[in-house]
Amino acid sequence: MDITFNIGGAAGQGIDTIGDLLTQVFVQAGFYTFTIKDFESRIRGGYNFTQIRVSDKPIYASVDEVDVIIALSKDAVVGKRDNLSEGGVIIFDEGIEFDDLEACHFPAPLEKTAREVGGNIRMMNAAALGAVIAVINFPFDLVEQVLADIFGRKGEKIVAGNVAVAKALYDLTKSDFTGTCKYNLETLEKGPSNDKLILTGNKALALGAIAANVKWISSYPMSPSTSVFEDIVTYSHQLKIGSIQTEDEISSLAMAIGASYAGARSMVTTSGGGFSLMVEALGYGAMIEAPVVIYNAQRPGPSTGLPTRTEQADLLFMAFSSQGEFPRIMFAPKDPIEAFDVATRSFNLADKFQIPVMVLGDQYLADSVMNIPRIDVSGVKRDVGKLAKPGPDPDYKRHLLTDDGISPRAFPGDKGKTVVSAGNVHREDGHITEDAEMRALMVQKFMNKIPAIMADLNPPKIYGEEKADITLLTWGSTWGAAYEAVQSLASRGVSINQLHFCDVYPLRTVKLREVFAQAKQVIAVEQNITSQFAQLVRMQTGLEVTQHINKYDGRPMTPQWIISELEEGGIV
Amino acid sequence: MITPEMLEEPQKITWCTGCGNFGILAALKKAVIELDTPIHELVLTSGIGCSSKILHYIGGVNSIHTLHGRPIPFATGIHLANTDLEVFVHTGDGDCLAEGLGHFVHAARRNVNMAVFIHNNGVNGLTKGQFSPAAPRGYISKTSPPPPGAPMDPVSPMAQAITAGATFVARGFSGDQKGLVKLMVQAIRHKGFAVIDILQPCVTWNRQLTWKYYNEHTYSLEEKGHDVTDKFKALEKAMENGDRYPVGIFYNVERPDLASGIALPEKGALKDHTTDLKDVQKIIDDLML
Repeated sequence: MDITFNIGGAAGQGIDTIGDLLTQVFVQAGFYTFTIKDFESRIRGGYNFTQIRVSDKPIYASVDEVDVIIALSKDAVVGKRDNLSEGGVIIFDEGIEFDDLEACHFPAPLEKTAREVGGNIRMMNAAALGAVIAVINFPFDLVEQVLADIFGRKGEKIVAGNVAVAKALYDLTKSDFTGTCKYNLETLEKGPSNDKLILTGNKALALGAIAANVKWISSYPMSPSTSVFEDIVTYSHQLKIGSIQTEDEISSLAMAIGASYAGARSMVTTSGGGFSLMVEALGYGAMIEAPVVIYNAQRPGPSTGLPTRTEQADLLFMAFSSQGEFPRIMFAPKDPIEAFDVATRSFNLADKFQIPVMVLGDQYLADSVMNIPRIDVSGVKRDVGKLAKPGPDPDYKRHLLTDDGISPRAFPGDKGKTVVSAGNVHREDGHITEDAEMRALMVQKFMNKIPAIMADLNPPKIYGEEKADITLLTWGSTWGAAYEAVQSLASRGVSINQLHFCDVYPLRTVKLREVFAQAKQVIAVEQNITSQFAQLVRMQTGLEVTQHINKYDGRPMTPQWIISELEEGGIV
Repeated sequence: MITPEMLEEPQKITWCTGCGNFGILAALKKAVIELDTPIHELVLTSGIGCSSKILHYIGGVNSIHTLHGRPIPFATGIHLANTDLEVFVHTGDGDCLAEGLGHFVHAARRNVNMAVFIHNNGVNGLTKGQFSPAAPRGYISKTSPPPPGAPMDPVSPMAQAITAGATFVARGFSGDQKGLVKLMVQAIRHKGFAVIDILQPCVTWNRQLTWKYYNEHTYSLEEKGHDVTDKFKALEKAMENGDRYPVGIFYNVERPDLASGIALPEKGALKDHTTDLKDVQKIIDDLML
């Protein structure tokens, strides 16, 4: 079973509500889901959709072909018609004026049934669910059970109402819908998945941050990063986390660095435009060796670009942003599970090396929803790095020169120590200097951290066969589409694997060299036009990929898209 | 107790001879001694420019020399991470009223508990004398268009602070040590956003706003019987951009400060608070279907 549902309509029509319900039903019934959100940068109207892929095997990407469309507007009736699979169905409310009916179309009394049977127009979601379930011949008793679980908290009346509405539409569809869907899941039993945590990448990052003991967040809203900020603010009262929505992103990072200097674990969230404003403060943070975590949920640029869509085009900008030379760490998590892990690692490594750590997400990671296993936080480690010995120390120097470049931290308020930092070149005690020798020593101090940073970063991972003729080189959220493409091609007998980076900077090169030596072709697969990661690889290793596959239309990659690009390029 | 010896400068002062900043440094040291807050609880924050070097000339005090125009947001982060600290900002007119004006207004609006000392001399001194946002209309410098000089009116930091919501707004003069120390102590003790616009001549670049000029053109607000709780009267005084500058407290009221609205721990500093992993696990488990 591998079905994709598409719920389309105008912003504000409740697409997400139906989507959430469908996801919950299938997750509760033991299936794997992967959901993408495609929406325009507007509050009401337009054509948006939520697309839910459901399978009895683990899935990691969205796909192009959809099997069942639930259309809440005329735009949505026609919007994905070309992507409808053979035997697919388009369900829409009978109130929508649409005359070009084909066999795949099913105008259904969704609103009417919600009103008449459920007594509540909001139960249209259950009506849509009933219709969907009927066209794929999904066992209704399974749905009934799941609805009871989902709505159980809201009371029996709500459960009964929703079940009645869903059943009414289910029965009506069974009798009235004359088309056929290619799926007949009549004999389906509960799926194998026990993954009951439904998360976006952004939510996972927020959870990782709170588990890592983030105590300060200052941000300015910017799609697609905003929900991380909102979530942490939501938890802030309970967990005691300082937060401010600032006047701009300059202030966001400045406040976070201030809080970090004073001893609080700090972060900011933004997208490329906001990060552009943070660039000066980034270098400042590096200069005063203040740990800070920066999340950039990338979206297509330049400038405003496509605010609600996806791209991976800020990699080189972030790797080299700000004047001067200093160490930084950059992560690009591939999915929600990794996002949680990256968040906790980010805070630890920022503290350990007293440097900025940047997390590069993108709209695809930020807004896509997966069901994953329960996250157990008991294994989360909090390593605050080197601290000065407690007690008075009149000779304490915040920027003491050490062999590993790391000076023990103390904080204002520590009795008997004076903590001084400056953005100017400074002496060990933090006061400014123009001395040539001290300048050189301080620059070397920064760079002396790099070997230990490299040792703490994870090497890239090979997915698929250890050795193959063709290797797809990927980073960040495009992992899933490439992974499924590789699996699919390998099953056809193609010698292909995937080399994937989460820890993207500084670049670990050992595995890269091995793979480049072994593979006949290394193909960069990136959600940008210039293959930025491949450029980074070439810059740092001299190794050059054989071909590039690039997507830069703001829409996520799918496994099929990668396969057809490989085919068109004569690679497979 | 804090002694003058504890505050001795950690490095040689680089200001020009006769610079107005010397008076501010002297007043700051006296204010710190008079305050008698434990020295490790003080944090000086500064931006960029001659004003902002002040924290390298006072020893034993925590300090952070930040970016041009940005000391206020840095200080806000420090303050909220540890509200036990007494945070003050030294900034110049070029620093605070140009790149920093947005932050200044928003910090006033938030009533962040900190004291901001604006070393105001009407020029960008360290970059060699260009007109600052506080320079009077017609001020001639290398970057003001000839022949009219600066073709715009200056920013009034006092009026900006009052209208934005600062709760302690005063003007001092670097040449009036006694008055300035008193204002500084009051500003630091004030719970909320306290601003002192400190008049100070740039002896190298500014031929207009000189020691002599300020001595002749300032007058004490207190002696005129000004009501410091009257916002409109305060604003009226702040708008006095004419021949005479009032000096003293313009406005002084109480209002909830920012920290009282932030999710800080009831006891102890935010920086020392630890999120219980059990609470995080519960949040995650509640998300489970």
